[in-house]
Amino acid sequence: MTATDSESRGVQTAPVAVDISHLTKTFGGLAAVDDVTISVPERRIHGILGPNGAGKTTVLNMVSGFVSADAGRIDVFGEDVTRMKPFQIARRGVARTYQNIRLFPGMTVLETVIAGAYLQRSSTILGAILLSPAERRERREMRDRAAELLEKVGVRADHGTLAETLSYGDQRRVEIARALATNPRVLLLDEPTAGMNDVESEAVGLLLRELRDLGLTLILIEHNMRLVEEFCESVSVMNSGAVLAQGEPTWCLEQDDVKEAYFGKRSDAARIATLRRARRGPGGA
Amino acid sequence: MSTTAWLTTLQFAGVNALFALAIYASLWTGVLSLAPVFFGAVSAFTFGYLAGAIGLSPALGLLLGVALGAALGAATAGLIIRLDSHYLAMATIAMVLIGRVLVLNLTEYTGGASGTLVPGDLGTWVWLIGTLVVAGYVMSRLAGSRFGLAADAVREDPAVAQTLAISPRQIQFVGFILSGALGGAAGVFQSSFLQYIGPDTFYTHLGFVTLAAVVLGGAFHWAGPIVGAIAFTILPELLREPMGEYDRVVTGVALVLIIIYMPRGLVDVRRLRLLRDRTRRRPGDRREDVTPAGAPAGAEASS
Repeated sequence: MTATDSESRGVQTAPVAVDISHLTKTFGGLAAVDDVTISVPERRIHGILGPNGAGKTTVLNMVSGFVSADAGRIDVFGEDVTRMKPFQIARRGVARTYQNIRLFPGMTVLETVIAGAYLQRSSTILGAILLSPAERRERREMRDRAAELLEKVGVRADHGTLAETLSYGDQRRVEIARALATNPRVLLLDEPTAGMNDVESEAVGLLLRELRDLGLTLILIEHNMRLVEEFCESVSVMNSGAVLAQGEPTWCLEQDDVKEAYFGKRSDAARIATLRRARRGPGGA
Repeated sequence: MSTTAWLTTLQFAGVNALFALAIYASLWTGVLSLAPVFFGAVSAFTFGYLAGAIGLSPALGLLLGVALGAALGAATAGLIIRLDSHYLAMATIAMVLIGRVLVLNLTEYTGGASGTLVPGDLGTWVWLIGTLVVAGYVMSRLAGSRFGLAADAVREDPAVAQTLAISPRQIQFVGFILSGALGGAAGVFQSSFLQYIGPDTFYTHLGFVTLAAVVLGGAFHWAGPIVGAIAFTILPELLREPMGEYDRVVTGVALVLIIIYMPRGLVDVRRLRLLRDRTRRRPGDRREDVTPAGAPAGAEASS
């Protein structure tokens, strides 16, 4: 099955935040992303699902400018960002987190979040050297705002602690706070609940919903199906670089192609069951 | 060592500290550059020429050196900042080599192979310590500023820095200007202490010695280059008497040991913060969860 309009379900009409059309990326002859089209309206929590190697992170990498597309187009709030550099895309309101956490070594929790507020700061080098009143005020405001963001995402650790020494879950939360410090309109999250327990994952889901209510558009790659079904309003399911289905999470996860991508073919399942029975022998339960 | 020899050694340690700070300024933004040696050479020869030709005052000479270095830093950045990391480093080494050729051939201004004399007016403790204090103050104020945190981010992970709306080239451009200003000042002081400069005064040796001083002292805090330059200048002098001709071998071994066991140098704020965090953490404290093994901060490629 390919994702066509007739197969999509639950897509509401709203201004489009991120419009990905016919996006393609190959690595050494392997099509990591093959003619992918995804449209995410504003103020939506959209999930990108799929087994490992499906091309989900590559899509996110292309939207954030980490990887350049071979073909296709990416529009953010109506502006073509396909050939832009990552910092240009970030200046248009796109922030992201990473599948493998990428915090800056040597920085404290507070410094990490303030580093994300680069665009929100207006102080000059001369102002910093002379420690002007504006510089002092800005530093104070940045500390307060970073502390607010850390509280919002649920980091309770001492803000003077090295970010890299925090627990895995807290490092993920600091990364989210750093991304939020850029004051984004679109937030791309690559497995934001990886390594978290159910309670922590639920808290992240509630945070995403709160951010959505504040006007953000969220696109997340997630393997936690319970979280996806509870918090995502729409999903795109990918496999082998292509989109299998798009629409409401529950409907997408019911599709045969999606089940097959995750659990294998029905015939494969029958064969595996036969092999298991044979291995257990005639007396096996 | 006599008191005079000690004072001379300390004076050169101070000049080396300025050169090391100049190298640190670009390393701070993730760029390995020996260009400060070239900036220093241009400032020193310009100071020497103008002092002789129009009687340029020492204070103006120093300001001119700083301004000239900064302008050269901006011009250099404009030309080579687009190069990738190791090609960029090689381009700055080429600048040092070109500088020597220019000194040898612009005989009317530089004295060519014979070199030129420079007034020693700036060769006093007041000027040197004053300039070092100002340089240290500027660097300490910039750490933690908008530029400082962006420079830290670009040095540690330029790709992630970009997704925070930071343009690495803009930050590196500013780093080159800072590096040029400090290199220019260092060149003027070097010439004033020596009172004679020639084609070999500002050559690769100076660049590598000051780079080694940055590695020794630490390239992650502005105090590192100052500590490293002082240690790296004094250590060979202390070793010369007991070790004779082997003093450089011992210095080299010390450098290798520091690279192995203290890869972030003598001044390592990260290590201090780690120690502080460990002492703060109570014995009963337990992390909620742990980082999965083999999950380094690397390229995103799993799906």
